[in-house]
Amino acid sequence: MARFPRPETLVGILVSLIVCALTLPPLAAVITSGAGAGFAPFREPGVVFNTLLFGFGTTIAAVIAGGGLALALAPGVPGRALLEGLVVMPLYLTPLLTAMGWNWLASPHSGLVNLLLHAASGNSLTINAVTPMGTIGVAALATAPLPFLLISDALRGIDASLTEAARVHGATPRMVLHGIVLPLLAPAGLASAVLVFVQAIGLFSVPAVLGMPEGFNVATTEIYQLLESYPPRFADATAWGILLLALAAALTFAQSALLRRRSFATITGKAFRVPRHLPSLPRLRAGFGWLYVALATVLPLLALLWAASMAFITANPKLMRLSGEHFAYVLFGYPKTWLAAGNSALLGALSATFVVLLGFGVSWVVLRTRQAGRSLLDQLSMMPLSMPAMVFALGLLWVYVRLPLPIYGTLGILLIAYVTHYLPFGVRATSAALRQLHPELEEAARVSGASWLRSMRRITLPLVQPTVFSAWALLFIMAMQEVSASILLYTSHSIVLSVAVFDLWENGNPSDVAALGFVQLAVSFVIAGLVLRARQRRALA
Amino acid sequence: MTATRPIAARRGPVTIEALTVAHGMVLAVRAISISARGGEVLTLLGPSGCGKTTTLRAIAGLEEPQEGRITIDGRTVFDAAGGINLPPERRGLSMIFQSYAIWPHMTVFENVAFGLRARGIRRSDLSSVARQSLDLVGLAALADRPATRLSGGQQQRVALARSIAGNPGVILLDEPLSNLDAQLRLAMRTEFRELQRNLGLTAIYVTHDQEEALVLSDCVAVMRDGVIEQAGTAAGIHDRPATRFVAEFVGVRNILPCDAAEESGRTVARLPGGALLACSGPAPDGPACVCFRPINVRLATQPGPGAFPATLTAANYLGDLVQYHLHAGELTIWARGLPRSDLAEGAAVFWSVPPEACFLVAA
Repeated sequence: MARFPRPETLVGILVSLIVCALTLPPLAAVITSGAGAGFAPFREPGVVFNTLLFGFGTTIAAVIAGGGLALALAPGVPGRALLEGLVVMPLYLTPLLTAMGWNWLASPHSGLVNLLLHAASGNSLTINAVTPMGTIGVAALATAPLPFLLISDALRGIDASLTEAARVHGATPRMVLHGIVLPLLAPAGLASAVLVFVQAIGLFSVPAVLGMPEGFNVATTEIYQLLESYPPRFADATAWGILLLALAAALTFAQSALLRRRSFATITGKAFRVPRHLPSLPRLRAGFGWLYVALATVLPLLALLWAASMAFITANPKLMRLSGEHFAYVLFGYPKTWLAAGNSALLGALSATFVVLLGFGVSWVVLRTRQAGRSLLDQLSMMPLSMPAMVFALGLLWVYVRLPLPIYGTLGILLIAYVTHYLPFGVRATSAALRQLHPELEEAARVSGASWLRSMRRITLPLVQPTVFSAWALLFIMAMQEVSASILLYTSHSIVLSVAVFDLWENGNPSDVAALGFVQLAVSFVIAGLVLRARQRRALA
Repeated sequence: MTATRPIAARRGPVTIEALTVAHGMVLAVRAISISARGGEVLTLLGPSGCGKTTTLRAIAGLEEPQEGRITIDGRTVFDAAGGINLPPERRGLSMIFQSYAIWPHMTVFENVAFGLRARGIRRSDLSSVARQSLDLVGLAALADRPATRLSGGQQQRVALARSIAGNPGVILLDEPLSNLDAQLRLAMRTEFRELQRNLGLTAIYVTHDQEEALVLSDCVAVMRDGVIEQAGTAAGIHDRPATRFVAEFVGVRNILPCDAAEESGRTVARLPGGALLACSGPAPDGPACVCFRPINVRLATQPGPGAFPATLTAANYLGDLVQYHLHAGELTIWARGLPRSDLAEGAAVFWSVPPEACFLVAA
């Protein structure tokens, strides 16, 4: 009897091929093409300095904010569940909107906050967001949920007995915090710092909105300007891409080197209990949470709403007038709105679907098979985390402009970019779900006579379905708001909403931008909400 | 548990020949050969990491071995040389997992019916066959209950019903009782043995509990580091462990280094300190240990033939029995017996072991 490859083997091979095809060519393209181009960043040391300042500044601020939030929102805080939900909201809001919101809040002359401050202080006090500090602050607000999530996960993993043992052996609460809790949180803190740094140096929208106008240029805005110039300076742009890639790789390497020396076995057990080793102060901790929610989400969105519903933005309160004309314009007058909305929704749905499917395939192969090279597959699928979206988009441009495939200039190239960029998220979400399922559940189905396909369809998929659906909805929202890669890959036919927003920001009326930003938010949340509702109804039926 | 089955189960034998399973660079199972006769229980007994579960999973088709051959009921399901490797669903067996692996999104009935559907049983028979096997384990009343609302013992029964519903010739059990409390474990053990006998199932049972193995099995194979140290009947393993490892594993507490010699046709073990023990069975080549169970040590307060002096250093009350701790020079001897008023801690005692209870293993 000849040995025919089993379906699970075929799935493993297929998944590995797709992941390789998605990740490797753009990476190779950036490295090979940029390396031959001379090293443009050497000619702009100021921008290199700005990039580092922006990257490290954002990282430090975001880790302090996110870690502080994780400690603050440990059990015992009033309204904890609500706060935990609100604190991670910035993950689903494009930083572009947050940055524009802060521009309307705290631009030196017309910012709402400054209007109030000037009225109160007689023009002597100004908070200016359109500065390097403002850029870093807003980027930190936008990325703080990452360290919050990682560090609160680590906090949950600290067994209460570890800290209780320290207390019993004579440690004060302060000693417990410094001697036990913080060292145990260090790996998660470090991991989130690297993650934030890579996100920050790859962040385009915040520096574009708050930095560029005052000449605070970083690598991403530099890449954008090099490609916008005529003729586009591809090679120089790629050289900047390599710089970003090298920075990300160096930090990722440093992190794994540091963690190798001090690795902790995963600690699980009874939940972390705060009152025993932290000064309790529940009100103060809740206040910190609400302050963050206000700065990162509520205030910028209110400013956006304000800007969208004013006839025009003015420093003179007497001239302010409510008006629906901007919403009317972006919905009915602006020619790109509906094309972009359709493209965005289609791309969001397709990329969320592919990411979830591919992510599930990768996690299944990694967790459930002994396929050769599966740990490599795992690392490869996680690689986009340490590759800024904009650099990845550059690589895609290089690959697909040269390939005779009719992908460049279509939604296809955006789809490839989105699927690859969000793949790590899909893998994490589905592998978390698969880890919850004892492998014996699948094995029992096989031994009971079910084929691989049947055991997938009847046992595994129904059991991971809830996670898969919520992951889909979140991916949809995130993909709807992607800016950094889209801005390099779109053409007039394949424009998406976030690019249309940025386009209006550069060339249009600020109030129209705000209105379009709201349209974008509404479309993404409404569709994601409808999908989740539909699933719940089906689950009940 | 007395219901009989309308369809006679196939009493298929399972044969493993030179089976080798590697996990990466580690050989989990090294060229073992063993077989379970049709309608009998073969138990793979050993400490964790000895390769027993890997062997079971290889039989089920859940692990791919590197070498060897597995035959179930005369049909080759795996043969490395012949390139045969049937997937689990085509091996015609069933399995009870350590975690029970009850599918949480189904009812009790659906859990049992799943395998029947997968095996293509006729729709008209499905319900009656599933209910019949639920009946056999006493769960007919819970058929429509969601699987998440079951106690540990009930889950165990669902797993059992599920595994016999498909009318398999062979059933594999991976430490099925280890998650139950002590009382339930005893009850389920008896129940399973009865069911297995009534249905004439061939069973391969994996456990690290020697008592469970002895009670349940027709044949026991003791495994260590991927090889079978000894295989035989439960009584054979219990009474005559072939190696020091097996002796330790099946609870022979006294394993003492000695000089073994043949004297006038009998094997005699000379212990340090001069005590001489007559043994049954042959002496191994090279250094030897004399072995005997604590329960076989006889204690007396007066000297007697073949008895040696010692000091009773501790008497620990175990409930029905008392465990005695003796010191004789550098020797420590464990004895076990009914509580006796004449054996107080610190007393001088004389101990002896009947020759039929003493045997020798290689040191």
